[in-house]
Amino acid sequence: MDPASNMLSIQNLCIYKNESHLFTLDTSVLAGEILTIMGPSGSGKSTLLSWLSGMLDPAFTAEGKLLLGGQDISQTPSHLRRIALLFQDPLLFNHLTVSGNIEFGMQASKSNSKKQRISKALASVDLSGMETRAPKSLSGGQQARVALLRVLLNEPRVILLDEPFSKLDSQLRQATRELVFEQIRQRGLTAILVTHDQSDADAAAGKVINLSNTRSA
Amino acid sequence: MIVDTSLFTRWVKFSPSILITLLIVPVVAGLLGVILPAFGWLPALGEETVGLRGFEALFATPGFVKMLALSFSTSFVSTFFAVLLSILILGNYFNSKLLGHIQRLLGPILVIPHAAAAIAIGFLIAPSGLIMRLFSPWLSGAELPPDILLPNDPCGFSIILGLTLKELPFILLIAMAAMQQKEIKQAIEGQYKVALSLGYYPFTSFCKAVLPILYPFIRLPIYAILAYSSASIEIPLILGPNTPPTLAVAIMQWFNDVDLHLRIQASAGALVQIMLTLCVLFTWWLLEQCVKRFCLSSLINGRRTYADITWKFLTHCITLLVLFAIVLALIGLVIWSFAGYWSFPKAYPDQLVTLHWQSALQQLPETIGDTILVALAATGIALFLALFTLEAEQQRRTQLSSVASLMIYLPLLVPSIAFLFGIVWVKEIIGVNAVFSMVVLGHLLFVMPYVFLSLATSYRKLDLRYANVAASLGRSPWSVFYSVKLPQLMPPILFSSALGLAISFSQYLPTLLLGGGRINTLTTEAVAIASGASRRISAVYVIIQLLLPAFGFILAWLIPKLFFRPRY
Repeated sequence: MDPASNMLSIQNLCIYKNESHLFTLDTSVLAGEILTIMGPSGSGKSTLLSWLSGMLDPAFTAEGKLLLGGQDISQTPSHLRRIALLFQDPLLFNHLTVSGNIEFGMQASKSNSKKQRISKALASVDLSGMETRAPKSLSGGQQARVALLRVLLNEPRVILLDEPFSKLDSQLRQATRELVFEQIRQRGLTAILVTHDQSDADAAAGKVINLSNTRSA
Repeated sequence: MIVDTSLFTRWVKFSPSILITLLIVPVVAGLLGVILPAFGWLPALGEETVGLRGFEALFATPGFVKMLALSFSTSFVSTFFAVLLSILILGNYFNSKLLGHIQRLLGPILVIPHAAAAIAIGFLIAPSGLIMRLFSPWLSGAELPPDILLPNDPCGFSIILGLTLKELPFILLIAMAAMQQKEIKQAIEGQYKVALSLGYYPFTSFCKAVLPILYPFIRLPIYAILAYSSASIEIPLILGPNTPPTLAVAIMQWFNDVDLHLRIQASAGALVQIMLTLCVLFTWWLLEQCVKRFCLSSLINGRRTYADITWKFLTHCITLLVLFAIVLALIGLVIWSFAGYWSFPKAYPDQLVTLHWQSALQQLPETIGDTILVALAATGIALFLALFTLEAEQQRRTQLSSVASLMIYLPLLVPSIAFLFGIVWVKEIIGVNAVFSMVVLGHLLFVMPYVFLSLATSYRKLDLRYANVAASLGRSPWSVFYSVKLPQLMPPILFSSALGLAISFSQYLPTLLLGGGRINTLTTEAVAIASGASRRISAVYVIIQLLLPAFGFILAWLIPKLFFRPRY
């Protein structure tokens, strides 16, 4: 895939909260790259992800442009952006099975081919045979992997990671992180990671922006 | 173990039992009081042989099947529409400020008595009502009121309209209250975002990701609505047909008939009414199972939209229509109450007079006094028992058992027509002649669940550390309750009181039956007048019916601001 085709450009972004300036940002991320956003609590990391996904809270206002593959998507509704979110909580649907959760993320196609893809994907993250399990019956790490598969099989153009490893213990954290980053790179996805943890930033091995340094325009 | 034997502690200890007994005994006694006459045993009338003649007479009643069909269809269809509209409104305005505005606009409708709402809707849709006047003659071409049987149409469309408009705010507010609970709020907002980010359109995201989480929280209230509407009296009495009426209305008419032997048929009818209500509930359960089976596969079929834009447009139109109807009904009431001569098709009266207000206000002081006295007594008792029961929960460190909790809602789930007559019969047998107390007890059965429900959340959320600090400083349990807990709970207590008063103001059947005509409230008077007297006088009664609960809620809102705000 041409890295420029999924390039995400944030141009002259200024975010305000109740008219007071929160931060300014101007950067871009190529496909297969992981941009890491760091900063203390309240610096606007999650707000940035909300803006990128088109779900900015009405308490905030934003100026600036968001280009995906050269196309301005600043005004595009969130459901049409093809920007998927991975939160710190897996947020799996308890009314669906593991397989149902992953299928929820997939585009409409023949059911048989979907089932095969799901089984293959589950096997790739050591969750073979878990298709019919209830999400609540899985461990935290297993739930995180299902949430990742739900996003990956959605085939988004960009993936936003909102501290997705922060609730995992250190051993699981490292393994899950490796899995997520490997999948992102393999699939040539454009990714933005928000984290408090320097080790996440080191593992992402991409550009790091600290939002506390971007408060003045 | 430390045993505190103060009067307060003893009262608190026994309060849950008293509360449950006070709710169960009348309902069970009332049901027994209906079952025995239903099978022909009514010694007061010399009927002492058990048999099925009550049921035989009932089944032989002309139009009996139509009565059943009318009761079933109006309750089921109105609840279906109310649930559907609620889902449309919640789904299309989810995470939008509009939802809050709609909540504030529709909230007050909840406390409007059913009788008042029915009368107002009747005014609106009648052939000479405000809607027809607004569109005549320029659109309808009518120079005279059209010859249509509205309200009181034989198919029950007017009943469905009335019930839907009353049920909609209830379901919406219950759903929104659930959505505001911290854990549920976090879950549904997160999963809605997930669905959006996976490419689902907003309304489809709501239906596929939020509704499956939300529905279990509104399920019991929906069942309560179905039970209520299948046996409701006021709306079918005012808006429904009389050839034949719904089963509940017919039962009430038989019970009140001068031919006392009709009571056997009425009692049999009350049992059939319970079966009918169960049948409505079962049908709804079947519908749920069908939707569950059908929708489970569509949840994961990958379709991102189901004509979202059309649904959104439809929701805007319906919401505007509902709000327009409500506002128009209120405006209509005010105009009718001051209308002098008002010929059709004029949208405004030829003259405005205060005559109807003057004559109503001359007749009403005693009725208003009785209405307020009964409401204050029922709400006071309900508040006292609810607070003590919740305090007992905290002292025991365990919540009421699920069976006990269900018992609190028993009077809302069992059709009132089925047990209130039984209470009258039991009352006659044991020779109780205290009319006021009986009316208060009747109201209490319906006020109690609402007061308890509205207080429980706040009471259970109290930060117990304050009470523990006070206790460690040597305060007695009563002192902790009175001087620490109650001040913290003042706003919810006042809100619950206002709600309790509003529920009491709206009661029709308990006052009518247990009062035996010796105590009249605004609602019983309004229903009596609605069936024939002047539309103008009716409007005055309805406005006063609306003002009384509104006054209660204004007080509940003002008192904490005036007397309990922090002073600097």
